[in-house]
Amino acid sequence: MPATPGLSWIGRLLQATSAGRVVAVTLLVVLLTFLSVYPLSMLLYGSLHSTPPGMAGTFNLDGYLQVLTLQSVVTLLNTVGISLAKTIPSLVLAVLLAWILARTDTPMRGALEALITLPFFIPPILTAMAWGMLGNPQVGLLNQLYQWVTGSNTAPINVYSYGGVVWHMMQYSVPFLFLLIVDAFRAMDQSLEEAARMCGASRLRTFCTVTLQLMLPALTGAAILSFIRGIENFESPLFFGTPAGIRVITTDIYDSINQRSPPEYQYATAISFVIMALLFLIVLLQWRILRGRSFQTVTGKGYSPTVMKLGKWRWATFAFCLLFFFVTVVLPVGQLLIGSFFKFFGFYQRDMLTLEHYRAVFGSSDFWRGFNNTILLGFVGATLTMLLGGAVAYISVRTRWRGRRLIDAMAWLPWMMPGIVLGVGFLWGFALLPHAIPIYGTIWALLLAYISLGTPLSVRIMSSAYAQLSFDLEECSRVHGASWLQTMGRIVIALAWPSFAVGWVLLFFGIMRELSASVLLYSVGSEVLSVVLLKLWANGNAEQVSVIGLIMMGMVILFRWVQLKVIKSRINAL
Amino acid sequence: MSNVIIEQVSRNFGQFVAVDGIDLRVNEGEFVTLLGPSGCGKTTTLRMVAGLEQNTGGRISIGNEIVSDATRGIFVPSERRRLGMVFQSYAIWPHMTVFDNVAYPLRVRRRPAAEILGRVTKALQLVEMEGFAERPAPALSGGQQQRVAIARALVFEPTVLLLDEPLSNLDAKLRLQMGDEFRSIQKRLGMTSLYVTHDQSEAMALSDRVVVMDRGRIQQIGAPEDIYRYPANRTVAAFFGAPNLLEASVESCVRVDERRFRLEVVGRGWRGPCEAASEMQPGQAVTVMARPEDARLAPAGSKAGADELAWSGRIAHTIFRGPIRSIVVQTDDGRLNVDAPPFGSHAVGDNVTVVVPQRAAWAVVEKAAKAQ
Repeated sequence: MPATPGLSWIGRLLQATSAGRVVAVTLLVVLLTFLSVYPLSMLLYGSLHSTPPGMAGTFNLDGYLQVLTLQSVVTLLNTVGISLAKTIPSLVLAVLLAWILARTDTPMRGALEALITLPFFIPPILTAMAWGMLGNPQVGLLNQLYQWVTGSNTAPINVYSYGGVVWHMMQYSVPFLFLLIVDAFRAMDQSLEEAARMCGASRLRTFCTVTLQLMLPALTGAAILSFIRGIENFESPLFFGTPAGIRVITTDIYDSINQRSPPEYQYATAISFVIMALLFLIVLLQWRILRGRSFQTVTGKGYSPTVMKLGKWRWATFAFCLLFFFVTVVLPVGQLLIGSFFKFFGFYQRDMLTLEHYRAVFGSSDFWRGFNNTILLGFVGATLTMLLGGAVAYISVRTRWRGRRLIDAMAWLPWMMPGIVLGVGFLWGFALLPHAIPIYGTIWALLLAYISLGTPLSVRIMSSAYAQLSFDLEECSRVHGASWLQTMGRIVIALAWPSFAVGWVLLFFGIMRELSASVLLYSVGSEVLSVVLLKLWANGNAEQVSVIGLIMMGMVILFRWVQLKVIKSRINAL
Repeated sequence: MSNVIIEQVSRNFGQFVAVDGIDLRVNEGEFVTLLGPSGCGKTTTLRMVAGLEQNTGGRISIGNEIVSDATRGIFVPSERRRLGMVFQSYAIWPHMTVFDNVAYPLRVRRRPAAEILGRVTKALQLVEMEGFAERPAPALSGGQQQRVAIARALVFEPTVLLLDEPLSNLDAKLRLQMGDEFRSIQKRLGMTSLYVTHDQSEAMALSDRVVVMDRGRIQQIGAPEDIYRYPANRTVAAFFGAPNLLEASVESCVRVDERRFRLEVVGRGWRGPCEAASEMQPGQAVTVMARPEDARLAPAGSKAGADELAWSGRIAHTIFRGPIRSIVVQTDDGRLNVDAPPFGSHAVGDNVTVVVPQRAAWAVVEKAAKAQ
């Protein structure tokens, strides 16, 4: 029984003939080569090349020699130190929050969970700017408040410091770690703990010998991921480190290309290569540690474990979660709100109230261009990335085609590349393309970089979605008369689409917040919102920044709401 | 309805031979069970008939039409083989209602809506699930899911029905009930069925013929009674129930009728008559199978009759099982299991004689004879 006549030939091509498979795999290999292997090899090329991209030059090791100076070693130690300093307290906080929300009877846990994970979805550039205003040693709101309360003239809070960098990173890594480990807490099989209690172990001993041991793979994995993200972090050190002279690798790369004249491309590329090697070592370490122990050591059967009765202490835990939300969301958003209505940032008197910043922003062609570019790139980029990830994941999880491991590995490569490193790679890559393919300086450059950055995530999400679908569901459809294409449409896609939607929203968020690659690859006409914000901030226009920041916040909350309400309810219905 | 013919079919996974050149013919309307321990190749065989696995050697035909021939490169994909299949996991699609699940084979074949409604209703009535049509599939119990899976497999009247351990996920009581129901539906519709299981009592209760498989080969094909009573080799004998298996050597051999021979055998501390399927040479080593339910206990020192085997020993222990009492007797040739009435007067330590009639003692040689 044939499928739709127009489409059936595709199915037959893919399924029945080995030539069709070869074509499909080859297409993906070519695409992924351009998206991941090409910028990577361009990094190596660029690090050995003495002149900026596109100019004649010689090959030497000067870039790597520069990496070996004392200054660079300090930068490297800064990077690792800051990331460690934020990962450890974040993990403690995240475990505490996960325990509170998954295993205690704290009131309104569902709402609290939505609130404390919200900071993760706010573009870091927004909170960075808000905290720059809140914690400014001269005119920051927090310092003004302190002086008003105590009457002293000192300013205790200065975000332009190591503490400021770590503090800002923590606002992201706590909800990030929370999201990674909360399911492990929730799915924890109660009977394993009860068995330990029945064997005579105390509550504390049970926690140490059973609960914690079972959680360990999940915790270690999450901590390493958080550490990697700390190294890749760009916004926090850019906003709070650079003004205080604290340099980390990502800002060092940015400065060498954007802030020095002439730009030191070779050094930037060489140190990009070094950071990638560092990340590769960490990933290897992670594999060694987690070898044989999967993230899903604790798998549940979908029941909710009984929660611990906290008595009146549950209001304390409730207040703790609320406090976290207040500090990470309400304070910065409140600052943006206040900042947007006063004439000058830092001078909060009633006669300074104004709407002129709103007028200026909405009348600004720069803003609208950035807004349109961000929305366009968000929709197109998220869709294309999920389609690519869906295809790669399907081939690597559901088929035994030759070459499936190759494309899986290629799609994973950008995982090790921080946005700024990928930006440098593409900078070289686009400049060295033949002139007939004018990607450099267009919006396509950003689109390709976003797809490349998002592919590892999309493959991972779709792989786990397919892995959860038993093969029987697919085979059953085939035996009962559906062709390969019909089975794809009616069974596989119909069952995997919630994951597709979840991934799509995550990627959209990712594109909206992306700064480090965008700032290297944009050019006049292809600015995105985050770049517009950065430019305004650099010009000292904190008031218009607040307005744009609020608009972006509105979009974040809208999408997050859609994600939680619409998609989650559909998933739960299954 | 169609027949299924499997000729010299093999399947290799790299070096591993999962199915090793098997021949099987399933007649129209017949219910044939593939039985064997896990890893014996029974599921692989079923999946090759379904077209979910491609055979690396041999030929498979359904309804006298070749669907797969390794040497000629013919391979008809699953969806064009017109089969129904019930999976071990039932494979009920969780994003559809019961009705949608059952209607699926008709919808992909683009049948008109009225026909779909009629046929699905009929199929659901057949499995007594008509009240559940609008239920979402995940809101079903295991037994209900199983019924839906059967309805879905039957709804478009497939030429052949394939079942992959469909009862193994049900609890014991439901398993019996569903098995009986399924057999009666199958008989009523006269559906050619190929059934895979590792449960010997299920196989015996449901099948017209049982195919015993082990290590990728067919060990024996026959009616359940024949396989139980006259196993072809030690593997088959050991697979059904928990028989007593005793090593012995042949002293003489006489033909009884066209399928049975009478042997005189001697074992460790015992001798006597038994039967076998083939002619044996004096001195040949055999295994004599005596089932516990065919053995009886006689007072110590009883003499064996001319057509009986006897062992003397002492009761080692007894286990009460409800309908019977299992008695373990320690003899010179190891322990023998005997099924006795549950409320008999046998006590541990009693000296007894275990008696087995010649007709119930069946001798097999270790090496498998060529399957019938």
